[in-house]
Amino acid sequence: MDGFLGRYRNLSVLVIVIMAQLVLLAVQVKNNQDVRLIRVWAVTAMTPLARVLEGIRANTFGVAGEYWQLLEVRSENRTMKVDLDRLKLENQYLKEELATAKRVEAMASFVQRNPSKTIGARIIGAGSGMNSKVVFIDRGSTSGVLKGMPVITPDGIVGKVTASYPVGAQVMLITDPTFACGVVSDKSRIHGTVRGQGNNQLLVDYIQNEQQVAVGEVFYTSGDDRIFPKGLPVGPVRVARQGKLFKEIYLAPTAFEKGLEEVLVVLEGVHQQIPDLLPGAGTGPEAKPLAPPPSESVPTPVDATPQQKPDQKLSTDADKLLEKYRSIGEQQGVRYGNPGRVPNFNAPPPVVKPPAPKTETPPAAPVVPPN
Amino acid sequence: MRFLRDESKFAQGKIAFLQYLSVGVFLLILGGYWNLQIRNEEIYSLKAERNRIKALPIPAPRGKILDRDKRVIVDNHSSFSVLLSRETLKEEHLKPIAEGLDLDYDELLAKLKRHRARPKYQAIFIKEELTPAEIAFVESHRDPDTYPELELIHTERRVYPESGFGAHLIGYVGEVSESELNLADFAKYQQGDLVGKTGIERQYNDLLAGVDGQRQVLVDNKGNERRTLGMKPAVPGKPVELTIDLDVQTVMELAMDGRRGGAVALDPRNGEVLAMVSRPGFNLSSLSSRERNRQWREIFSNPEKPLLNRAIQAQMAPGSTFKPIVALAALESGEITNDTSFGCGGGLNFFGRYFHCHNKKGHGATTLKKALAQSCDVYFYNVGNKIGIDKIAEYAKIAGFGAKTGIDLPAEAEGTLPSSKWKIRALREKWYGGDTISVAIGQGYLTSTPIQLAHAIGGLAIGGIWHTPHLLKGEPASKPARKADLNLDHVRFVVDGMCEVVNGWGTATNSRVPGVEMCGKTGTAQTVSNEYQKARNIHVKDNAWFVAFAPRVNPEIAVAVLFEEGEHGNLAGTIARDVVKAHFDKKARKDMSQSQPGAATAGLQTPAGGAGN
Repeated sequence: MDGFLGRYRNLSVLVIVIMAQLVLLAVQVKNNQDVRLIRVWAVTAMTPLARVLEGIRANTFGVAGEYWQLLEVRSENRTMKVDLDRLKLENQYLKEELATAKRVEAMASFVQRNPSKTIGARIIGAGSGMNSKVVFIDRGSTSGVLKGMPVITPDGIVGKVTASYPVGAQVMLITDPTFACGVVSDKSRIHGTVRGQGNNQLLVDYIQNEQQVAVGEVFYTSGDDRIFPKGLPVGPVRVARQGKLFKEIYLAPTAFEKGLEEVLVVLEGVHQQIPDLLPGAGTGPEAKPLAPPPSESVPTPVDATPQQKPDQKLSTDADKLLEKYRSIGEQQGVRYGNPGRVPNFNAPPPVVKPPAPKTETPPAAPVVPPN
Repeated sequence: MRFLRDESKFAQGKIAFLQYLSVGVFLLILGGYWNLQIRNEEIYSLKAERNRIKALPIPAPRGKILDRDKRVIVDNHSSFSVLLSRETLKEEHLKPIAEGLDLDYDELLAKLKRHRARPKYQAIFIKEELTPAEIAFVESHRDPDTYPELELIHTERRVYPESGFGAHLIGYVGEVSESELNLADFAKYQQGDLVGKTGIERQYNDLLAGVDGQRQVLVDNKGNERRTLGMKPAVPGKPVELTIDLDVQTVMELAMDGRRGGAVALDPRNGEVLAMVSRPGFNLSSLSSRERNRQWREIFSNPEKPLLNRAIQAQMAPGSTFKPIVALAALESGEITNDTSFGCGGGLNFFGRYFHCHNKKGHGATTLKKALAQSCDVYFYNVGNKIGIDKIAEYAKIAGFGAKTGIDLPAEAEGTLPSSKWKIRALREKWYGGDTISVAIGQGYLTSTPIQLAHAIGGLAIGGIWHTPHLLKGEPASKPARKADLNLDHVRFVVDGMCEVVNGWGTATNSRVPGVEMCGKTGTAQTVSNEYQKARNIHVKDNAWFVAFAPRVNPEIAVAVLFEEGEHGNLAGTIARDVVKAHFDKKARKDMSQSQPGAATAGLQTPAGGAGN
């Protein structure tokens, strides 16, 4: 067999090839496909290889591409972050500028309206100390700022100057535990003394438990302390309750609601009337100028602070009895100790007829004739 | 070489100098150390301690003063005072502090000077009864950076009745003076302490005062209070209940208004003082302070002497109110009887001098009863002449004239009871018969206080028992009662005469009290002799006196009234009339409320729910 194939190798190959082609043609005819088998075989044979190669290629080039893309994104991100920070800072700056402009506008408006002579100052630092509430301002004795001068904002009082240097001054804030000033409520006109507590609350002291003070009522400076001019807002009442000796009234200082940046130092104080309502209290975050003082207000210099006497009249049983006997004498037309009528201390008191109520006479009912 | 030699010399000198300097500095430091740690160690450690610990006084509230029905006459109220701590005081702060607290700067300096002797750690009061504005000033300035020397403390202050009600009786409080500190009564006090100065406040100061407390606080180097180290609470003073009846006192106050003089009402059965008034008065609140203000100065410099308690201190001739005593002396001595009669022609000559009767036309034939009722001077001139000064003095002394009654009030005057011995002792002169004639009608050397008169006539009216007048209820008087062995018929004769004064045809018929048999005696006493008035061409009005008791039998109230320059005794009588009426009207209310609980017919109600009405 080998000899035959060997001898007729070419023919044998040809026959085999022809036969194979015939078989293949038959298979192709039988399958009725429009694709040549060779292609099918070739494709079938080459596809896995091509897939592998393509996978390798795709993975290789994809990772590289993505890497490069990532590098670009990071770079871009960095740039954007820088831009964002810059924009944020710009935004903040503009906001600050806007707020400052508004504050300054409010302050300018306040200064124009307020009869006290003031000078603007910036807060440049805070003091140290566990309980101390002290700040430093950029105005000092060369600007006329002296120890003891009140420091305010249009929103309320801030504190008082405790030390004055040539180009700066130390201000004790109203929240300092050693701070105190005279206050008066806007509704009941009750006088008291407000004191710092070392936190964000103020205590109003020396108000009798019998006095009526409601939450929301606003306290203003009374001018009694001879430091702060009368009529500057201090804060609204947050808590009002009965105390041991005096009422416990806590205020929220209005001066710190919007932070402290610029302040006014009162060089020459002038008293004002207490407005009925605190302007801007409880409104939005924007500073609003103080409402103009009432038209009937007459500014008076600080030195002319009237000394208020206790309105409560103190009396004993002797005073009450004296009044009673005096009225008995008047009722009986008796002048004690004088000749004439003898007083009768056991006479019943004269019957005091209550005044007839002034009621309109109702229209007369129609007279119904008897049947 | 020379140069080198010079340099070495210079270096040696420098070294020696430095050595000596070092030794000197070292010795200096050693000396300082010695002074600080060894020589004056105690002083410096005490100073350091004082800087660290601050002592604040807690003044004790004084006790209340109540009337016999526990009604409040003097109360306390809560107030604030400001103290000046002299340890941290800076002289330059004084002026602004004085301005801020409306104080007189010079007065403040004087006050500091007065307290110089006190230890420096003891703060001194500079103002009391602070207004809300002053509290605000102190609170806002007492921080360590402003005036750390200011201290605010809570005190209980006196609430006195207004308009001088009972001012002399109650008295006022003030800072203990240097002269008082030398007295045994005030030995326990220190300069600056508040003590009673007059009246009940002074008399019962120990009861009323209580004991001051103290609060020790830890302060930091800036003077900030860090924490309380210890507290000794104050012990409040005890309340004092008086025998005073506010109803009677009030009517007496009103009746004495606008007049000058003194009046007192007491219960002769036990000596309890029911009312006491002196005019002109003063506002106690103006004086009861550590401050010597304008009002204080005005009161002290007032020529009317408003601080004088005329009820116990006015020593004046009692005039005809003394006649009952003369009558009693004459009856007891047996020189006259109830029926003894003398003729009155408007005056009589004694020892070469003509003595007028107040009735120029004369009273005609006058018995004792008529003489008392119509206050016939001639009758008593005769009686006086008969019995002599020493008999008058004997019985007047029994009745309590010429000596303090012993009332529990400071500075009672004793008056003058003249006698032959007294004149020799006091004036180094012989007694003349003419002197007796004057004394017999309550003039001449005789002087008395209203309380002496009320005490004397009250004791006489109850039959010769004189209880010591006193103001503290429930406590025995300082002196026991005195009893005289009098003939009760004689007493009755005198009482009958006094009843005629008011209820018969006497000199005080305008003082009748409806429903009450009040007996009394008018007195119209000259303060300046007629000769003096003529010589100076002036007219000085006579003082009006009236002494009364009621009812006639077993009297329960005796009243004496001095109405200075009142011209006639019956004008003082109407004051006593209203006082007696107030007493008996109140008694009627009390009886009615006891018999008909809840009856409300009376025009008066007790103001503070007292049990009296």
